[in-house]
Amino acid sequence: MKTDTTGAVLVPADTALRLRERIKPAAWTAVIVLAPFVLYGLFLSAYGINPIQLYVTMVKSAFGDLYGFGEVLIKATPILLTGLAAALPAKAGLVNVGGEGQLAIGALFSTWFAVFYLNQAPAWIGIPAMLLAGALGGGVWAAITAFLKVKGRLNETITSLLLNYVATFTVGFFVHGLLKDPGSFNWPFSPEISPALRLPVLNGTRLHVGFAIAAALAAVVWFVLAKTRFGFRIRVLGGNRLAAERAGFRLNAMYFWVLVAAGMLAGIAGMIEIAGIEGRLRPATGANYGYLGFLAAWMAWNHPLRLMLTAFLIGMIGVAGNSLEIGSGLPSSSVHILMALVLFFLLGAGRRGKR
Amino acid sequence: MEPTDLSSSNPYLLEAIGLTKRFGSLTANLGVNLKVRRGSIHAVLGENGAGKSTLMKMLYGVYAPDDGLIRMDDERVVLHPPMKARGKGIGMVFQDFRLIPAMTVLDNVALAVSREGWRFRRKELRERILEVSAKYGLAVDPAAEVWQLDLGQRQRLEIVKTLLVPHTRLIIFDEPTSVLVPQEVDAFLNMLGMLKRDGYGILLITHKINEVMACADEVTVLRGGQVAYSARREEIPDGDSLIAAMMGGKELMPISKPRAESEAPKPEALTLERIVIKGDHGETVLQEAEMSLRAGEILGVAGISGNGQRELAETLFGLRRPSQGVLRIGDRELQGRGVQAFMEAGVSFVSEDPLKESVVPGLSILEHMVLDGYPLAPKRLGVDWARIRSRLSASPEAKALALADPDRKADRLSGGNVQRMVLTRALVRGPRILLVSYPSRGLDIGTTRTIQQRLIALAEQGTAVLLFSEDLDELFKLSDRLVVLAGKRLHGPFRPAETDAAAIGRLMLEGGESA
Repeated sequence: MKTDTTGAVLVPADTALRLRERIKPAAWTAVIVLAPFVLYGLFLSAYGINPIQLYVTMVKSAFGDLYGFGEVLIKATPILLTGLAAALPAKAGLVNVGGEGQLAIGALFSTWFAVFYLNQAPAWIGIPAMLLAGALGGGVWAAITAFLKVKGRLNETITSLLLNYVATFTVGFFVHGLLKDPGSFNWPFSPEISPALRLPVLNGTRLHVGFAIAAALAAVVWFVLAKTRFGFRIRVLGGNRLAAERAGFRLNAMYFWVLVAAGMLAGIAGMIEIAGIEGRLRPATGANYGYLGFLAAWMAWNHPLRLMLTAFLIGMIGVAGNSLEIGSGLPSSSVHILMALVLFFLLGAGRRGKR
Repeated sequence: MEPTDLSSSNPYLLEAIGLTKRFGSLTANLGVNLKVRRGSIHAVLGENGAGKSTLMKMLYGVYAPDDGLIRMDDERVVLHPPMKARGKGIGMVFQDFRLIPAMTVLDNVALAVSREGWRFRRKELRERILEVSAKYGLAVDPAAEVWQLDLGQRQRLEIVKTLLVPHTRLIIFDEPTSVLVPQEVDAFLNMLGMLKRDGYGILLITHKINEVMACADEVTVLRGGQVAYSARREEIPDGDSLIAAMMGGKELMPISKPRAESEAPKPEALTLERIVIKGDHGETVLQEAEMSLRAGEILGVAGISGNGQRELAETLFGLRRPSQGVLRIGDRELQGRGVQAFMEAGVSFVSEDPLKESVVPGLSILEHMVLDGYPLAPKRLGVDWARIRSRLSASPEAKALALADPDRKADRLSGGNVQRMVLTRALVRGPRILLVSYPSRGLDIGTTRTIQQRLIALAEQGTAVLLFSEDLDELFKLSDRLVVLAGKRLHGPFRPAETDAAAIGRLMLEGGESA
């Protein structure tokens, strides 16, 4: 269809048509958001559970009191960060599925520093140092993917995904060996970090300042992408690699540093898990948060601010699993079905959205 | 194969009355009347966006008209979808050929010409292909695979395909000569004459006035989606009256090129010495090329497309590294350096496929202006878009090229507007060397003239212009010197005054083997 001003005749815009065109995408979005809940509701009904009641409990447990709300935010925090680790590269046209491994190595680095070098350190030195260590760990892990991408022309989707498994085993290697707590009776986990290094907690909840850090980082990523020259270049690169090349951008350097920055974000999530929740490194620390973050980034169309919403939503579904187990007897992991439905609908919608 | 003559008294094969087609708020065709006689050539002219393609797509059944009717054999017909149009005997030869490169000529024809029964009568089809191609001088080898064919051969195959569809009697040609060299154009017009004598109706969409004057029996000119002019060949005084009808009230700028042959040669801006360029699959595309581009001249590069134009242009902008040889800009050797080095040396590049290589989806025209155009004006951490906007709105280049609203998203622009955008961008940079590929592709006559005039003015200011084009007219009008890409070699340079289109065309076709 040509909209060339030189040629065709313009007739007055049909306002009704305009309105319909504006409502249509909104209606689609509503369908995509609601359909998984409807389907999951059918599944619940088959087990004799009233889905409406369950959804009400779910919302209540999230918003009913400060504790519940705090739990949702705690769940959402690492998802937000690993979501950023997927969204930022996506803007440059890269697919980073490695949030999982970058988080794990970030947790490993920050625990290592906390246990061996920061045990006596006061909070104001120790916590920032742990944070930097986490970022370093995630960044180094992502740098492997970035190096293979730039020098070896290997697809970053594949390498980042495969390195997740390597990261899990690497963490396992350390918690079974060099980092094992001598007083753990041979259980595979690290010694507990010093109480000074734990993130400050809001009274009456388990909510720590980690969420504020994650939200601030989301705002920074948004600002960089939307408002800075570097962000503009990233968007050009993500929009059309050939055009970026013809504008004289150094593509390899950009790919490298965007991936490293993403790894650092996921690494910080690992640090927050250690310093905010667990206090020690276990083989399964932060498991699945990388993938959930990837899902959240998809749901938010890689927009950092929208990502705060979708991370919250996924956190809420996760917390709902607990109330489901208590209230109905279904295992809490059955909410994964709901999560999977959300993913399916989004992927389907994504294909539609791409014309 | 012969058009089935129903020997009705009606001289018209097809009558379209009051055809109207809208796309959302855009009216592409409004009340268009068009009649095609048996055994005649009806040319349809118009600028870009005048609605020619929409009209043809309605006649070929791609679109259903919103209003109006089409009559064939005195009765109203529905042509949408194309299957029905083909059933009524309408065939179309598209600009971008609809062929499958990995298959043979025979198999491609077989796809279009399905007969009853489950058996694939390969031998019979082969004979029919040979028969038709012999009759109309459409030489194609049924056993060749399509990827091996050049554009001229592919077009002949498209025509054979259309002729072999049973009952074809009206053939629509969409800008058929744009891919042909002069010798091929003559052969093509000759073939049109034969088809016409055999009773086919021909609809010819074209930009080229001289071809219309040479072969058409009737002419319809579209402007702004409506018929602006319609006449029989005898009633048309000359080509200029057709141009006037196409342009409406707009003035057509004449091209004037001063030729300063007496002056001492200017310094060399860009030189190639024994350059070897490899293609995407490691094959040699250009061997031992020698070339020099001087400041203030336009050097034209002729050649059938696909003979290394893209690879050469990319090499001269640092996108592709030559595997051997010396590439000098001014007195610096730049082979092996990246795009940035070439940009710093003052090279600007308009690629042959800007839609694919230059347009970033979601970004506005304004935002595209800082990619190899204006510098990225800083404002704290961000970009000073207001400053770039005011520079753009003050720029004479944007005005002259009628650049669209800077806030429009570039991926929603028509091909012509994209072309305006990338050319404006290259010109506002004030490059020392401009590499420009197919500047007039997809543009109407008016804009083409403006661009050509700009290129001449740019050269007069001392810019060295390397002009890749498939339009020999354009090359002869603009170039100070010409080189020809053919047979993996760079031939020339030639002076336009000392050679002619036929000689260059022969070189393009034969690659200088017999020369």
